[in-house]
Amino acid sequence: MTANRLRHFLRDARHYQMTYLSIFLMTGILFLEWYDNLFHYAVLIVTALCIQSIGMLAVNKYSDGWWKSALITSLGLCLLCKTGSLQTTLLAAMLAIGSKFIIRFRGKHLFNPVNFGLIATSLITQDSWVSPGQWGSHLILLLVLGALGFIVLAKVQRWDAPLTFFIVFGGLMYANIVCYKGWDFGVFLHSITSGTLVLFAFYMITDPMTTPNHRTGRILWIGLVSLLSFVLVTQFYFYSAPIWVLFFMSPLVPLVDRYWKAPKYVWAHKSPLVIRF
Amino acid sequence: MKTTVYFLLSCIAFMPHYVYSFCGFYVAKADTELFNEKSEVILTRDGFETVLTMSNDFKGDVKDFAMVIPVPTVLSRNNIKVVDRYIFDRLNGYSGPRLVEYYDEHPCYRYDYRMMEKMSVPAMEVMEDASGSMDFDDYQVTIEASYTVGEYDILLLSAEESLGLKRWLTDNGYQIPEKAEAILEPYLKSDMKFFVAKVNLEEYGESSYQNLRPIQIRYNHPRFMLPIRLGMSNAKGSQDLIVYAMTPRGRVEATNYKTVDIPSNFNIPTFVTSQFSAFYKDLFAKAYRRNGRNAVFVEYAWDLSSSNYTKCDPCATTPPAYSELIDAGVHWIDYEEVSGWGGADYAGNLFFTRLHVRYDNLHFPSDLEFHVTSNVTSHQGRYVMNHMYEGPIDCQGDTDLHYYLKVKDRREDELDNLVYYAGWDKNKYRSYVSAIDTDIERSDPENKRNNLWFLIKHFGRNMLEYKATPHYQYVVVTLVGILGLVFMRRFALRKKVLRVQ
Repeated sequence: MTANRLRHFLRDARHYQMTYLSIFLMTGILFLEWYDNLFHYAVLIVTALCIQSIGMLAVNKYSDGWWKSALITSLGLCLLCKTGSLQTTLLAAMLAIGSKFIIRFRGKHLFNPVNFGLIATSLITQDSWVSPGQWGSHLILLLVLGALGFIVLAKVQRWDAPLTFFIVFGGLMYANIVCYKGWDFGVFLHSITSGTLVLFAFYMITDPMTTPNHRTGRILWIGLVSLLSFVLVTQFYFYSAPIWVLFFMSPLVPLVDRYWKAPKYVWAHKSPLVIRF
Repeated sequence: MKTTVYFLLSCIAFMPHYVYSFCGFYVAKADTELFNEKSEVILTRDGFETVLTMSNDFKGDVKDFAMVIPVPTVLSRNNIKVVDRYIFDRLNGYSGPRLVEYYDEHPCYRYDYRMMEKMSVPAMEVMEDASGSMDFDDYQVTIEASYTVGEYDILLLSAEESLGLKRWLTDNGYQIPEKAEAILEPYLKSDMKFFVAKVNLEEYGESSYQNLRPIQIRYNHPRFMLPIRLGMSNAKGSQDLIVYAMTPRGRVEATNYKTVDIPSNFNIPTFVTSQFSAFYKDLFAKAYRRNGRNAVFVEYAWDLSSSNYTKCDPCATTPPAYSELIDAGVHWIDYEEVSGWGGADYAGNLFFTRLHVRYDNLHFPSDLEFHVTSNVTSHQGRYVMNHMYEGPIDCQGDTDLHYYLKVKDRREDELDNLVYYAGWDKNKYRSYVSAIDTDIERSDPENKRNNLWFLIKHFGRNMLEYKATPHYQYVVVTLVGILGLVFMRRFALRKKVLRVQ
């Protein structure tokens, strides 16, 4: 029975993501001392689950795994979204999950829920923000998180996404900082090892639901996202640029999907094996 | 009714002596040792409009002083100002870490006490210059502008390549560090100009100022940063930098380093009064080490908008007024007559953030980049001392014994805080706790305190005094949410939407 459970757990990529984000969050709480926000996290998670539950009941899809994607979204919000008040926290969770049910195109939701929640909340209320510097620069920590990230991505077959991002964005940053401006390698490393970037690369642009289905299309699309982010970061000194770029590039995904066709990703394939527990 | 007595100590003035230079080199003609104890800047930002004021506490001969700072654009004459040093002392006094004292009431009756305040202002120091010829043909250095502002001669240079700039600076009498061109290069490539200031001795001789005054520059550029790397090239060890940042929106935080609130709001023993600056220094050093030596600390954050009537709590000094804010470079507020108690003499939004950075070459590989967030949460370095009620206490019942036991526990906690936050040795101060024992013995001759019933009562009393945290709203929402989830699941099961295998 335990083996069965484990097999069941390993079959669904969302379990990997959940574990991954929880590790990320626990790292923040334990090592970076984010104690102050514990209540904020609790509200985010519970609200996200409530909205998901309401949404699932409304579209009549309430099934056993209804909570999984909402939990992933809320953990992502916990990691990125900071707010000044309870109302804004509630709004962020509602917008993030709400966008999944409302803004849909050809059976896929258009925006990455966390991304939509972050941007929409900051546009509406002016009371939420992203702290790109909150991770400090713990190189080892980020390498470990990066390696774990690849395990998750191998499961959803999206490992090409962060690779493209790091090659294009990192390459351009390297060319700009080290080759052109002549800073030390340390400066480049410092600019690229922010926790927010790692999270962006391994979690946001790898979301199988809101990125292009076909590999070629995906690589091109992510290349474009990286290029634009680079321009915004270096020319306009806009440090949360990748998150905004992703938001405005999301509507392009259906177009990309039209040219490069591939089947939509399915979280957990139904298997003939009946799991009982 | 407790009364607070606090005093603010500008501990930063007592920071260890480091040789440092901020935001550029302080360069001297002679190999004089230049000591600066701290550097302070005022940074205001509204949209892309940035005003940067740099204090000079340069010690040495004024004619040896020179300063080189990279700036994003060529500044026009009216964007360079010389301001009075007092504004730094005002802002430091207003936002420094503070010690709050509470006096316990008489455990049997209630009492009131007077309030007193005291603050110490950091001493001012002097600073210096160099002068040279204006030969720049071979260096590929262009003098974009040249002004005399107050006691300073100011040049704005742009250069094709760093070696030329370095040679120009050296040949014109600026003594810059050996490896300087490697550091100048990235700034040139980022299209930055060099702001070079030295003292105009004629102007300086005529002026009545004893010290060199801070220079204030204003520019409009998306880049919001402080070029700390340049100053590191001639620095040994770490340097302290205080940034007083003001924006119309909210807190300023670093985007490429972790921004952390300095530990605050805990009880410390009463004997710390006389050693508060030492305590704060150790507290800062410990927080600095705990955060990997590469964090930016928020020492003060407060909403100074005219709509907010509580501009500090407790106030170390009166909050900055309109004229002072204008001097500090806050240009988006308007003058207004003071209306009502606690009102400001200005109208507009203003958020004040005081950041403290201790940086060194190893842990701060790149310049400090900032952004303005909409975070308007207050924070202040506030440390609480509770004085025990002095004098005879003889209450009816066990009240006095309960009180003494509480004080003993509290003192134990205070010592623990001292160990945890400042790393002091607890064993040196054992007598602080054991001093209560005689009082306990006196008020408890029958040894009641080991009686189980008494201990239960004591625990109950402490619980009653315990104050709930203001986060209860979050807790209520979370609980309601969980109830909602349970309800929805039951609903789904009843309607046969959800089938459990």
